[in-house]
Amino acid sequence: MNQNVTRRAAVAALAGGAGFLAHKAHGQVVWQVNASKCINSRLGETTVEACNLCTSSCVVGLSAVRAVNEHSKCGRCNICPAYFNITSAVDEKGMPSEKLCPRDAITRKPIGKQDPEDPSNNFYEYTIDEEKCDGCGRCVMKCKEPLGLGSITLRVRYDKCVLCNRCAISTACPKDALEQIPLPAALEPGLARRTE
Amino acid sequence: MKYQQSLVIGGKGSEPHQFAQSLTGLALDRRGLLHAAGDAEIKVYDPSGRLMSKWRTERPALSIAVASTGHVYCGEEEQIEIFDPAAKTARVWKDPKMLGRVTAIGFAGNYVLAGDAAGRAIRRLDSAGRTVNTIGTDNNVGGLLIPNGTVSFGVDGEGVIHAANPGKHRVERYSGEGELLGHFGRFHFQDPAGFTGCCNPTSVAIGDGIYVTEKAPPRLKVYGKDGQFGGVIAAECFDPNSKNIPVLAGARGRVYAADPVKLHILVFEPEAV
Repeated sequence: MNQNVTRRAAVAALAGGAGFLAHKAHGQVVWQVNASKCINSRLGETTVEACNLCTSSCVVGLSAVRAVNEHSKCGRCNICPAYFNITSAVDEKGMPSEKLCPRDAITRKPIGKQDPEDPSNNFYEYTIDEEKCDGCGRCVMKCKEPLGLGSITLRVRYDKCVLCNRCAISTACPKDALEQIPLPAALEPGLARRTE
Repeated sequence: MKYQQSLVIGGKGSEPHQFAQSLTGLALDRRGLLHAAGDAEIKVYDPSGRLMSKWRTERPALSIAVASTGHVYCGEEEQIEIFDPAAKTARVWKDPKMLGRVTAIGFAGNYVLAGDAAGRAIRRLDSAGRTVNTIGTDNNVGGLLIPNGTVSFGVDGEGVIHAANPGKHRVERYSGEGELLGHFGRFHFQDPAGFTGCCNPTSVAIGDGIYVTEKAPPRLKVYGKDGQFGGVIAAECFDPNSKNIPVLAGARGRVYAADPVKLHILVFEPEAV
């Protein structure tokens, strides 16, 4: 039942996104982040600090780029390095005492049968609130392999992007990770907005 | 106790002693010859690291163990391939359901233990390859928490299984029947005795101590049989992107660790006091 509702919502969101694109792009190309080029998600990049140029360069308020967690790839870990600041002090329950996201945009909830006594004995779902997220990339950097599984990436949200001819982020990005892609490619399911 | 790196074996390349794409498992036979599983091959090295022999496996090799009879067990996708001491195929145990992805193999009494990463569990098999019981699934999450996709365990002299449960940041001890006997380890970033990140340790081996490897950052550590932290044996020598570093305990405190990025085997010896 819940799965059906979620699927319907996702399809509706995808259709809505398609409507946006059809209206805004007129069959042209659209901007998207290439995760294999982005410093925050690219394997082998050992930068300690996340690149936040998507936040600081975009002409859209907060940024048209937001972090997205692809749930099918997520490890559903008890201690998620993208959710917790894993370098913070450990609390009395043995958990990191601080969250990583400065805007508190990630929610964590146990899923399935729950063991209230032992938090490590549960699976967790991590959901990013796109209205809070400003695409700073911190969670993306911490989710990257080998520390995480790389389920969180930065994505251009088409209901926020104003489709500048010359994207300010693409101009600023040192890795040329902002690319123009054809509209059909932009509508692949991985880009569908999660509305759970 | 301090350790020093004494040898580097293998490496990335196309030479016979090297590995092209993967290095996934280590084992020793009774003569002290090192067996390494990688690509779709098994390679045997003498104690000085010289390649003595190699042969092909049917599928990419994911793990390896050598029985006291000299038979070599190779874990693969959906099967265990068994070679006689002359490296000829003796048997193949196929079981897509119970042996989905065999990333660890061990022995306890008359049983063969297989770490099935697809099932997030350890299968205890009889001498005919039939699953007798499953270990590690009697919990709230239905198995070992292995976001890295690898089950790893070691077996001590009493037949107690020490399994890595990285999602719980601990090493768990199980009886052959699957009873959880205890565990040690906790999450901690600053304290080297703790396990950091989302999921560590990733690999376990039993010898004079309990040896574990971690990822992000990659480390090789040793604990006492009681779970007391013994120290970090090595860290900087691994590629920073390494994960699921196979580890193996040898005689006289020798420890082997395979870097899955650089595709070489590092050998560490305790320093003489």
